[in-house]
Amino acid sequence: MGDALRFEGRRVAVEPGDTVASALYRAGVRTFTRSLKYHRRRGLFCMTGDCPNCSLNVDGDPGVRACTTDARDGQVVLRESGWPSAEHDLLHMTDRLRRFLPVGFYSKTFIRPRFVWGLAERVIRRATGVGRLPAGRAAGAKPARAVHVDLLVVGGGVAGLAAAAEAGAAGSRVMLVEERRLGATVWDARAVARIEALAQEATAAGVRILERHTAVGVYEGPFVPVVGPDEVLHIEAARVIAATGAVEAHAVFPGNDLPGVFLSRGAALLGVRHGVRPGRRAVVVATTDEGRTSAEALRSTGVEVLIHDGPVIAAEGSGRVRAVIIETPSGRERITCDTLVLSLGWAPRDALLRMGTDQEVAGAGEVVIPGCSLEEAEASGRRAANGRGEAASDVPTVPLASDGYVCLCEDVSLHDLEQAWDEGWRSSEILKRYTTATMGPCQGAVCGRPLAAFAGARADAVATAGARTTARPPARPIPLEDLAAGVDESIEQRTSLHDRHLELGARTERSGSWSRPTTFGDIEQEISAVRHRAGLLDVGTLGKFLVAGRDAAELMDRVFPVRVRDLAPGRSRYLVALDGAGYVMDDGLLAALDRGRFYLCSTSGGAPAMEAWLRDWIDRWDLHVHLLDQTAQLGAILLAGPNARTILERLTGDDVSAGALPHMRHAEITVADVPCRALRVGFVGEVGFELHHDRSRGPELYDALLEAGRPEGAQPFGLGALDTLRLEKGHLYLGQDTLPDDHPAKLGLQWAVAMDKPGFVGKPALERMRALPLERTMVGLRIDGEPRRGIPLLAGDRVVGRVTSSARSEAAGGTIALGWIRAVDGAFPTELFAGGSRTTVVPTPFYDPEGARVHA
Amino acid sequence: MPELTRAPIGVVTASAEAGALDLLLVPGRAFACRVADDELLLLCAPPVTDEVAREVATRLAALDPDALVIDTTDGWVAVSIAGDDARVSFGLLSRLELPVAGFLQGEVVHVPAKVVAGDDGVLILVPSIWQAHLHDRAAKAFGHTGPLEARPWAVPTS
Repeated sequence: MGDALRFEGRRVAVEPGDTVASALYRAGVRTFTRSLKYHRRRGLFCMTGDCPNCSLNVDGDPGVRACTTDARDGQVVLRESGWPSAEHDLLHMTDRLRRFLPVGFYSKTFIRPRFVWGLAERVIRRATGVGRLPAGRAAGAKPARAVHVDLLVVGGGVAGLAAAAEAGAAGSRVMLVEERRLGATVWDARAVARIEALAQEATAAGVRILERHTAVGVYEGPFVPVVGPDEVLHIEAARVIAATGAVEAHAVFPGNDLPGVFLSRGAALLGVRHGVRPGRRAVVVATTDEGRTSAEALRSTGVEVLIHDGPVIAAEGSGRVRAVIIETPSGRERITCDTLVLSLGWAPRDALLRMGTDQEVAGAGEVVIPGCSLEEAEASGRRAANGRGEAASDVPTVPLASDGYVCLCEDVSLHDLEQAWDEGWRSSEILKRYTTATMGPCQGAVCGRPLAAFAGARADAVATAGARTTARPPARPIPLEDLAAGVDESIEQRTSLHDRHLELGARTERSGSWSRPTTFGDIEQEISAVRHRAGLLDVGTLGKFLVAGRDAAELMDRVFPVRVRDLAPGRSRYLVALDGAGYVMDDGLLAALDRGRFYLCSTSGGAPAMEAWLRDWIDRWDLHVHLLDQTAQLGAILLAGPNARTILERLTGDDVSAGALPHMRHAEITVADVPCRALRVGFVGEVGFELHHDRSRGPELYDALLEAGRPEGAQPFGLGALDTLRLEKGHLYLGQDTLPDDHPAKLGLQWAVAMDKPGFVGKPALERMRALPLERTMVGLRIDGEPRRGIPLLAGDRVVGRVTSSARSEAAGGTIALGWIRAVDGAFPTELFAGGSRTTVVPTPFYDPEGARVHA
Repeated sequence: MPELTRAPIGVVTASAEAGALDLLLVPGRAFACRVADDELLLLCAPPVTDEVAREVATRLAALDPDALVIDTTDGWVAVSIAGDDARVSFGLLSRLELPVAGFLQGEVVHVPAKVVAGDDGVLILVPSIWQAHLHDRAAKAFGHTGPLEARPWAVPTS
């Protein structure tokens, strides 16, 4: 028994060279799909992958073009549209109800009540029958590989191969991509032979030929993504030659979508290459030499052929073509037939060419000289390779008849376009958006020109109404999963302690681009450990910069509002970074080192912006400053809590007493044999030592601190505990608690701004704003209820602000929060409601307001 | 598929006036990557990193007294791709076009990277915060399973 595929449960024999479409057609299948809206029967039409008529489900993949898919033994093929089946489709009644389903009906109906659209959308989607994505099957994202070439040729016909061979022989790195096998969509033996000869010439010239590779689009570069069977190529080419050929023109007349209507190349391909007669009696309407030649070829396959050149008035039939009405010199003639073959001109496949306008993208062959001979195509390819590509020809469109389908993908008829025009959609671009013509899988390859011709021919059209709609990727339909090729959906930054955290049972979360521990088990316990014993927090994510050079102090002084000139080595200061408008961009710590150097710490998320910002000022002021981002190089561990010093003293011979290393001082010390810069800080409101160290030493330092801290009840803590600990101290999280237009006064940070300095970034803006009343301010809140972040704050029935941070605090004895409030009648309200709970404005910090614990 | 290995490497960062860096005589044991007008990365074998840093600091001090020379080895992580198809396979990780030999910088596995191309392969350095990302993505691209073996990188002559 020979090869066979399974089609809806039955066996269909496969001959050598068959496509899925040719095998099915040989087996008697005539209806391949049902149309999107009206469920009209659709059969083979172009046979070159340009139209949507043969989209089937092949081996579980929906929307596969049967005409360009090689048939294989064991393939499982299904039709996807139609209910209960494509052959007997009850939904075809929508074709009888067309007047109730006008163009754009879904934009006009099911609007109220609003929930109806949710239901209607589901029904409409199911009814369209465009196939379902294979649920339950993981997307098999292909790898993406970048390739650099001097010349990329898209299209493996005569022109493309000639161009590639010519450029390859001249020494260029050339790649040629062809969406099928070379010559697979050509019926003419002479053309096939020429393609084979040119392929040999190109290969000998070093050209890399990739079959079954589809160019998706042309982006700036030119950059061309190409989808292959196993990978997606990201091709950066110095030049691109689009030798994508042409499809025969789509004619619009009543019955133009009936099964049995073919483009002549498709009919000849089916008859000559695949040995399957498209019908018994064919009317060939040809206005081209090629059409007449292919008619003769068709005749040689045993089809009775009647050749005409008159316009087609209509095709008749129910389910397939039964007769054709032709305009002849002697009047209209009705001819009985089962096949109508059309060769009325060309529609160049120029989407890539149009995407590459103003780039090094040229056309060759039929895409610029539609209908050209083999010799002309070859010469055109060689000219393009030598930099003498042709301009695209102006192609006449086939005159539109009285009705018929313009867009086969979206079921848009001439009548629909007329109705849309009358409703005021009066250019091809907005007709496209309203009717969705050209927005289906063919992306306008078939219908783009008829749409433009329709708009351009209207008597009341403006000059640009008939312009072709913009060509955008994808030029050919590709599986959605291929769009994901090479995408790294998650790029995570990790500190050197990441694996340790996981070993300790941490639950991690994304904090900006960092992976950080939320908790190691119990947030309340972690808070308690920090408040009563000691806790360890990985703060290696902080931005860390070394600032050196003879102008380092000047840079710091001019950039930041903090006082810098009197900052002696060994001392640190909190700083805010302001932009030119005086708004707070970031905050951090500035530590003065010896030799006029500084160590600057920014927030974890603010490091890249801080570096870019400082470099900008260095350049702008032409300062002699060396800035080194040490964020990746250095790790940092915060050891905080009343027992922190005791633990540290166990691991260091350096003096870390309150006298030697008080709050907001720093020193170079050695902890457990690890050289560290110890910074005394107090973000969590307890004695705190931030130990900055070489990243590679992080795990051993962390282990040593945990071990030494065990007798003192120390434990690691995460962002969950940190959120409450810092809130109890009234410390802000920039970005969470602040808004982009917050200046220091709104945040209660005036104390961090030395307005008496001669100048700093943002000072002029702050001076101007100082004269204005404060319309909004950040306040501490006590809430008689559960903590809820983000809820509005009400004064009476007026919304006056929002809660930005909130937590239940044992140390503060209730629910505390930070939030911003607006002034009401010139004063800030103090009695509020948040989520129905009485809320009172209170001073911050909520915990240890004198700061005695931090300074211990 | 190419051979993918970890490449332990010493990195020294030198920040100085552009003119000073232009005149700097790079120690023979190091490969110099000019990452900016005023910044140079010197790649070397880990055991000689201190020596290279000292030598560069001494030489640069004479050219720019404010020059900053720091051992930044911990800030970087490197992998090496070797084998006949190393250069083609690099395309699975980056859209950068490799030179015949030498240094370039840009995106690799979607993070900023330094790349050194040579006859015997390609070295990729990224900030160490992306160590896991680089290893995971490179291993996935090349079908490598298990931990990456460490192999010394042969420092090319600058």
